[in-house]
Amino acid sequence: MPEAPTLIAEAIRFDAVGKTFPTRPVPLRAVESVSFAVRRGEFLAILGPSGCGKSTLLMMAAGLETPTEGRLERGGVELVGPHRQTGVMFQDATLLPWLSVLDNVLFPATIRRIPRAQVLEAAMRLIETVGLKGFEGARPHELSGGMRQRAAICRALVLDPDLILMDEPFSALDAITRDEMGDVLLDLWQHTQKSAIFVTHSIREAVLLADRVLVMSRRPATVAEELVVPFPRPRTPALADSAEFAAVVAHLRGVIARNMA
Amino acid sequence: MKAVLTSTLAVLAMLLGWEALVRGKAVSADLLAPPTAVLEALLRHPEILLDQGISTARETALGFLLACLIGAAMGAALSSAAPLRRVAMPWVLALQIVPKMALAPLFVVWLGVGAPCRLAFAVFIAFFPVLIGTTAGLAGTDSGALRLCRVLGAGWWQTVLRVRLPYAVPQLLAGMKTAATMALLGVVIGEFVTAQQGLGYVVMFAASLGETALVLAAITLLCGIGVALYGVVLLAEWAFARWYSAPMPAGEFG
Ligand SMILES: Nc1ncnc2c1ncn2[C@@H]1O[C@H](COP(=O)(O)OP(=O)(O)OP(=O)(O)O)[C@@H](O)[C@H]1O
Ligand SMILES: [Mg+2]
Repeated sequence: MPEAPTLIAEAIRFDAVGKTFPTRPVPLRAVESVSFAVRRGEFLAILGPSGCGKSTLLMMAAGLETPTEGRLERGGVELVGPHRQTGVMFQDATLLPWLSVLDNVLFPATIRRIPRAQVLEAAMRLIETVGLKGFEGARPHELSGGMRQRAAICRALVLDPDLILMDEPFSALDAITRDEMGDVLLDLWQHTQKSAIFVTHSIREAVLLADRVLVMSRRPATVAEELVVPFPRPRTPALADSAEFAAVVAHLRGVIARNMA
Repeated sequence: MKAVLTSTLAVLAMLLGWEALVRGKAVSADLLAPPTAVLEALLRHPEILLDQGISTARETALGFLLACLIGAAMGAALSSAAPLRRVAMPWVLALQIVPKMALAPLFVVWLGVGAPCRLAFAVFIAFFPVLIGTTAGLAGTDSGALRLCRVLGAGWWQTVLRVRLPYAVPQLLAGMKTAATMALLGVVIGEFVTAQQGLGYVVMFAASLGETALVLAAITLLCGIGVALYGVVLLAEWAFARWYSAPMPAGEFG
């Protein structure tokens, strides 16, 4: 396989990607001619109306669904299935209930048959960063929803992927915990060079975390608008309280409202 | 500890009450032998009861094992192949509606009056809960966990061992608990209809002579066998719970 990661500036590229589900009686067109790319180290947020096809888009990026049209490239190579260097986070944490937090975080290593000792340090560091230190041995049922999602973040990052895909990872949480998780993610991101696609319904999350925001149209999903977030990094959660931040959020809200109309 | 003490005392009180009722001639000793008579019957014919008990225990254990293997294999096959499920499930369910005891004499016609008949009948009535437990367990696997496996590029075996099986085992064990009691029931009915050996045969034979003490002695032993087998499944359940909640070193299953 021709791999030249250093030469390719794009972590992932959607090239006129479309997806039609063979539903009956009429096939369902979920995604239509979507083209965009995520640069290395770029954090891309995707906003869009419910049911428009954002999850479908992300499932294709994860290699779990194949596009019916167009082409997906991952690091310059056509993407045909789950990619080893991609971390994925879904709406719910899906921790395995019989494993401790640490073992859940190490689960990707278990599946890939990577010796535990090799990733243990990285796992412990992640666990500490997200504030789960002291809960390594706890079972998922002993954790709060936010703590479970923290463990899921660690699991998605433990093998040090260069791209991480997140499908509304915090939408199952209450508003306060949700903002808190956004801050955890922001903090994590200051120290990494990872690329990310982050699907969310929260404009605050999108603007706080992302370098660029895509607003999708109604189904079938296409890229309706694109906005470069004008705030330099490193950012702090305090940014969300500033007037500039509020202005960008208001602008995006307007864009979305226009899209829905 | 306190609960154990309370229930032990309750059982003792009940036995004493029973003894008192019979001694006080409230109930005829011919209809219901008192506990002391049952104990005496147990001690009077130890070798007969032991021999027959071993026969019943052996056949029950073997029937239970076979029922578990067959039930789990069939359950796994049915859950992995939808076409097979569509063809086989109606038959499996229809078989459940048939009052299975009524088929026992047929097993004698097919397999004679020996151990194969009793075993086959025990398996026949005990495999179904295991089958259901297996299919329900495998179907109950969290779809998110399966998606996680796909994202991580887990192979078929890894997915089964790491995710599907752990999710299925609690239901499988629940099925096995029912199967344990069903296997014993199957063997006893088999002993009734084959009338050759086993505690079931002792029960029938002693009852026909009006020896209620011996009947109850045999039943006591049957209870012992049932409890022991059930206990084995409980032990398996406990061991599983312990093993799976213990940290698993990476790459353990290869
Ligand atoms: N496997 C599938 N088979 C058939 N239709 C599907 C399938 N997956 C998704 N769809 C349909 O595709 C459309 C887009 O779904 P998708 O889950 O991508 O939306 P979404 O933008 O993520 O919505 P939400 O914001 O509510 O999560 C929906 O109408 C959905 O019913
Ligand atoms: Mg979605």
